[in-house]
Amino acid sequence: MGVLILAGTHKGLFLLKGDDSRRQFEIEGPYLPGWDVYHAVVDPRDGALYACANNYVYGGTVHRSDDLGRTWERSEGLGLPEESGLKLEKTWHLEPGHPSEPGTLWLGGAPGVLFESEDGGRSWEPNRALLEHPTRERWHPGAGGMCCHSIQIDPTDARTMYVGISAAGVFRSEDHGESWMPANAGTAADFLPDDPHPEVGQCVHKVLLHPARPERLWQQNHCGVYRSDERGASWERLDGNGLPSDFGFALALDPSDPDIAYVVPEEGAENRVTSDGRLGVYRTQDAGSSWELASDGLPERAWVAVLREGLAYDEQGVYLGTQSGSVFARMNGEWIEAARQLPPVLSVEVGAWS
Amino acid sequence: MVVVRLPGLLATQAGGRGRFEVEAQTVAEALRALPIADLIFDEAGELRPLVNVYVDGVDARSRGGLGATVDRDAEIRVVAAIAGGSGRV
Repeated sequence: MGVLILAGTHKGLFLLKGDDSRRQFEIEGPYLPGWDVYHAVVDPRDGALYACANNYVYGGTVHRSDDLGRTWERSEGLGLPEESGLKLEKTWHLEPGHPSEPGTLWLGGAPGVLFESEDGGRSWEPNRALLEHPTRERWHPGAGGMCCHSIQIDPTDARTMYVGISAAGVFRSEDHGESWMPANAGTAADFLPDDPHPEVGQCVHKVLLHPARPERLWQQNHCGVYRSDERGASWERLDGNGLPSDFGFALALDPSDPDIAYVVPEEGAENRVTSDGRLGVYRTQDAGSSWELASDGLPERAWVAVLREGLAYDEQGVYLGTQSGSVFARMNGEWIEAARQLPPVLSVEVGAWS
Repeated sequence: MVVVRLPGLLATQAGGRGRFEVEAQTVAEALRALPIADLIFDEAGELRPLVNVYVDGVDARSRGGLGATVDRDAEIRVVAAIAGGSGRV
């Protein structure tokens, strides 16, 4: 069983197949040429590939492959109901459903919308509770549009879910998406000086739930790095203490240790490039009390960007893609460059192939 | 039969076919008969803004729009507008 890195790019999807040592990678693709692949994922339940593919002319789509990318099937009927007054702008994130719900997938998109599929991604239904959320009028699009980019499902309870939307904030459901509650207490919206701690409207950039301690959430926000130990009911700000900046997009965890997290700080909202002229990945091993560089093997002189889907993790390592077209894999404390000269990398995910 | 010709990306999505022959009375009927209709029309049934349609070499907008009738031997071409390359589109 080798590692499979899915690198979604501005010009299609590339698959990087690593051998057992994870130091040699064979590059396949591009699949879905001509499409911006905002996110692609392997469904661990059946091995199917899914891709959020967007095109500036033809809109936002979802594609599924059952043969590791050789052939693809496009989802049908993906769109928003006419009475909503909204139209689907882009597809952003695919999340396979709970292991107890085979065939169920969740899709996040813009403008701040969530879809559910119960047939393996062949058709999708919009989530009405989020579409008609009473706070929607207080949501605003970030620079990338009003994207629903984070979907997390509690592995111990399929009914408990989280979504992250820019700039609406984090929302929690305890009834499988029938209703959603804002979960933003303690997170800042510094860009709203008249109400810097609103109920909703925060610009969350990425939310992850720790799979072994699902009450613990991590968040990279436009305004800080946060951790919640109570399912998003409150958040503790964690930046400073070694981080060069509170701004960034990417976030990764360590499935074996809930106190470990990785971020890639950028200079700031007005200069979205990695901090201090280097490709600096920072790690905490004490739940965010302190941060240290974990960049051995990465370029020490670099001005790059790692997007919100540009960092992934599994039991063996951490994986990173840059807008400069490189993909790196971190094994045993050292990064190696798995691919270079790809188109700008929009997303990285990891799975297995055999 | 009305002939519809597709650009490369749409042809790929149509199973590798860039030329279709369809029975249609109007431009819209011809386009909706295609297996990639969801890529050129949005969920409200409106033509996506960067999709251009030409009928026998004439912009469909200037000959009555998508509701205009087409001759049985008409050729319709779907063309992507020249908006590519911008990070903002």
